[in-house]
Amino acid sequence: MVNYGGDEVSALVLDIGTSSLRAGYAGDDTPKAIIPTTYGYIPQYNDGDVSMNEAGVSGSLVRHYFGHSGPSLWRANMEVRNPITDGIISDFAPIPALVRHALEEVMRCSASEHPILVTEPSWNTPANRERMAEIMFEEFQVPAFYIANTSVLNTFAAGKGSALVIDIGQSVASVAPVVDGFVLRKGLQHSSLPALVQGNARNLLLSQQNPLRPPIDLYPYQLIASKQAVEANALPRYTMREDRLAGTTHSWRRWCEDREVEEWIQTVAGVLDQGWNDQAVQHRSAKQYEFPTGFNTWFGSERFGVGELFFSHPPQLHAGNPNVPKPLPNLITESLRACDPELRQVLLSNMVLTGGGSLFSGLADRLSTELSRTFPHCKIHAPGNPVERRYGGWLGGSILASLGTFHQLWISREEWQEHGKNIVGQRCK
Amino acid sequence: MASAADVRSILSIPSPAAGPSQQKKPTGTTRKPEGISRELYSLIGPSTPALAAQLVKPRLKQKPNLGGGGKVKWEWRKFKNDARSDTLELGHWVKAAENPNDEYKFAKYNALPAVYEWSQDEYAHHLKDSEWTKEETEYLFKIASDYDLRWYIIHDRYEFPNGPTRELEDLKDRYYSVCRKLIRNRTWAGDEASKNQLLQSFQYDKERETLRRKYVVNLSNRTPEQIQEEEALYIELKRLEQNERQFKRDRENLLRILAGVDSGLPDIVEDDATLIIVDPKKKKLKGIDLDLPQMRELTAPVIKRPPILNKNAAYDAQHCIIRNDPPPTTPATKVAHTPAYMRSFKLPYPKAAIAQRVNGLLAELGVSSSRLVMPTQANCQHLESVMDAATNLVELKRVLDKVNQDIDVLKNRLQIKDEGGDSASVADGMELDDRATTAEPEENGRSQSVLSARSTRSRKHARRSMSISSVDTSAPSSARAGTKRQKRM
Repeated sequence: MVNYGGDEVSALVLDIGTSSLRAGYAGDDTPKAIIPTTYGYIPQYNDGDVSMNEAGVSGSLVRHYFGHSGPSLWRANMEVRNPITDGIISDFAPIPALVRHALEEVMRCSASEHPILVTEPSWNTPANRERMAEIMFEEFQVPAFYIANTSVLNTFAAGKGSALVIDIGQSVASVAPVVDGFVLRKGLQHSSLPALVQGNARNLLLSQQNPLRPPIDLYPYQLIASKQAVEANALPRYTMREDRLAGTTHSWRRWCEDREVEEWIQTVAGVLDQGWNDQAVQHRSAKQYEFPTGFNTWFGSERFGVGELFFSHPPQLHAGNPNVPKPLPNLITESLRACDPELRQVLLSNMVLTGGGSLFSGLADRLSTELSRTFPHCKIHAPGNPVERRYGGWLGGSILASLGTFHQLWISREEWQEHGKNIVGQRCK
Repeated sequence: MASAADVRSILSIPSPAAGPSQQKKPTGTTRKPEGISRELYSLIGPSTPALAAQLVKPRLKQKPNLGGGGKVKWEWRKFKNDARSDTLELGHWVKAAENPNDEYKFAKYNALPAVYEWSQDEYAHHLKDSEWTKEETEYLFKIASDYDLRWYIIHDRYEFPNGPTRELEDLKDRYYSVCRKLIRNRTWAGDEASKNQLLQSFQYDKERETLRRKYVVNLSNRTPEQIQEEEALYIELKRLEQNERQFKRDRENLLRILAGVDSGLPDIVEDDATLIIVDPKKKKLKGIDLDLPQMRELTAPVIKRPPILNKNAAYDAQHCIIRNDPPPTTPATKVAHTPAYMRSFKLPYPKAAIAQRVNGLLAELGVSSSRLVMPTQANCQHLESVMDAATNLVELKRVLDKVNQDIDVLKNRLQIKDEGGDSASVADGMELDDRATTAEPEENGRSQSVLSARSTRSRKHARRSMSISSVDTSAPSSARAGTKRQKRM
C-alpha cells in the first residue's frame, strides 16, 4: 500500500467543465457520473399541468432538468442554459442542484460522508472558489474540501510534476505552465478558440455558398417525425413534428444545432498534419455524413479548412473583429515568453495535450509539426486513450485525492468554521 | 495366451516355488514411492529408489498463494493525521491486525522547510538594506516558506503591495544574504567547519547568476536564421577540415610517387612498409624520438625556398642553409635520386655489436646520441666526431681486454706449469699493477670507467658499479677473480 503512496479515504472528485460535469470516487480511472453541464428549465412552470411523478420540486415556479434526460429531451417551452462562461462558473444558482444530481441521482452517494475535491480552471477568481467551498460545506455538509487547479491535475494525470499543459475544452483553449505542481500565473494564456472553430463550422454548414449542395438544415432528431433515405446531395425528404415546433424555445434549438455541429466536427472535420496545402487536401479522401434530416453529402477539402483555425487565422477574420481569440501556436509562444528562460526547455520537452477538444482529428500531429518549426526540441505528451484526454483533469484529481500525503491538505469542516473563507486561499495555492 | 505357468509346463521346468524376485514382492516391505505411476513402478520395481526422487509426479502450475490462505480481516477505520493541526478524521480500510494507535504513516512526509526568523534588534543591526523594507523582507520570507523555496513559483506569485518589481535574482539574493548574515552573527553551537559549510550552502552570487541568465536568454533568443547560420558555419568548418586532410593526403601521395619513397615531408606519418624499406634501425629512431612540430620548424624554410632564386652564399648563411650538392657523377634517374631528408635522420649510428657500450659511454658523458635538440650541421658534426671517438675508444678497449685476458691465461698456464714456482712474486707483481692503475683514475672520473676496464677485475664491487662499460665485463671478471683468489690462498 505504501509502495505507491496511495491511501484511499473514499474521497469524491468533482470536475465541472463547459460541456460536462464529471464526478466519481478518487482512485478510480474514470468518473462514475458524466452529465452535461447544460441544464434545461421551464420558467413558468405550473404544477397542475404534469403528472405527479415529475413534480419533484414543488412550490418552485422554475423547474430544472439535469443530466442525460435533462436538456437533451424535448420539453415544451424548455429553455437551456449553461452556467459556465469562459471556463469558469458564472452562475452559481443551478450548481448545487447540478452537483446534487450527479452525486445523489447518478452516483447514489451522500456528499456529507465523503471528502470532496473540486477542480477549477487556472484563471478562476478567488471569490468563485470561496463560493464553491461555501456550497460544499454549507449545502452538502462535506467533512472536508479541497479545490485544485485543472492544469496541475492534468500534469499529474500525465505523470509529471512540471509541464506545459495545453488544454482544449469545448469553449476554451488554455496554455498553462506548471512547475512543481504550481501554475505560473504569469505564463497563463487562454482563449475561446474552440468556440471560434465551432462557430466557423456552423457557418460552413449553414452557408449557401457551396454550389454543390443546398444549405443544411440543422434540425435535431427530436423535431423530426419521419425521414426517407435520399441520394447524396439530394434534397432531404422528411416531415417535422409540427406539434413540437410551437413549444420549442430558441435556446434549446440553438443548443441542439450546436450539438449537431459538434458531432459533425467530431466525425468529419480534421486538420492536415503538415500545414495547409491545396494538393495534400486533394489527396485526402472525402467523408460522407448524414444529418438528422436524412440529408447526406460528401465533405472533401472543406472538412480540413475548419481545423486550420486552431493554427492560423485568415486576415479577414482580424479585419472584422479585433478580439479574435489567438491561435494555439501564439498562445504557446506567449506563454513561454512569460516564463523564465531557464524553464522554457523544461516546459517544451514536457508538453501535455489534453481536453476533449484536443481529440480533433489530426490536431496533435499538426501541433507537433507547428511547434517543432519554432522549437526544435519540443515533445508533446498526448494520451492515446480518449478517456484520459477528455477527463484528464478529473483523473489527476482522482490521483491526487487518493495519495496518502495529500490528506493533510484537506480543508476540514472545523477549519472552515474557524477561519471562514480565507482558508481556501491559504490552503489551496 | 499362454501364461508363464503354461510355458514352464511345456518346457518341463519345475514351478518356481521360491524365486527370489517373486518372493520379495508379496512381502510388501517396500511401498511404492510417491511420484511414480503404478505402471512404471511395476516395471522398474523397488530396486531403483534413486530414480524415484527424479520422477516426481509433474504438477500443474502452482497456485498463487494469496495471503497465506487465511482470510485477512480488513476494517474501515477512522484515523487522525498528525500532519494536520485540526481534528479531522478521515476513514480508510486497514488490516484489522494493525494497531489503531499507530501514527499515520504518511504524516512523516510532512517535512517543513527551515526558514529563518529574526528579532527586531537583529534586523536593525545586521539586516538593513537600502533596497528592502523590513515588511517586504518579512513578506519574502513568508512566501518563501509558503512555497518551500521553489523560486520560480515564489517569483511568479510575488506581489508585495507598492513594492518595486523584483527579479528572481533580487529575491534570491536578499533571501540568501539575510540567511548568511543571521548565521554569521548568531552564536554558533557547533564547530567552525559546520558553520562554514552551512554558510556555503547559502552562498549566492547575484552578478554571476544575472550574467548566466543573460547568456541563457541570448541562447534562446536566437532566431531560426541565426541557428541555421550557426549550423551551416559549423558544417562548413567540418567540411574545410576534411578538405584539408584530403588535400594533404593527395599531396603526400603525389610526392611519394614523384620523389621516391622517403620524401621526408613534414606532417606525414609514414606507414610501416616504407620504414622497413628504409632501415630497420631508423624505424625505432623515428618512432620514438622525433616529434612532428620540430620537424616542421626545421624543414619548413627548406621547402618554401624557391630553388633557383637564392643561390648566393650570403642568403644561405643568413638563413642557415647548407647545400648538399649531389655528386655530379650520379645519373639523373629515379633510382639514384636522393629524396629530401632530415639531417637528424642521417646521424651516425654505432655498430650493432658495440652500440650498447657506445651509448652507455655517451650517456655517461651526458650526450644523448639519439636525440639532438638542435640538429644544426655543426652540432651534427660534433656529435659525429664524439660518436667516432667513442666507437674508437670502445674498440680499443675491447682489444685491450682481449690481450689482457690472453696474458692472464698464459700466466696461469705458466704458473700451473711451474707447479710450485714462486707464486708470491707473480701475485705481488699483479698487486703492484693494480695499485698503479687504481691511483690514476681518481683525477678523471670519465676516463676511469673506460680505461680501468682491465683493473676492474680486482677492484671492489662498489667501485665497479660506477661505469656501465665496466659492468659489462664484471660478471666474468669477478668469477675469474674468485678463482684466482682461491688459488692464491
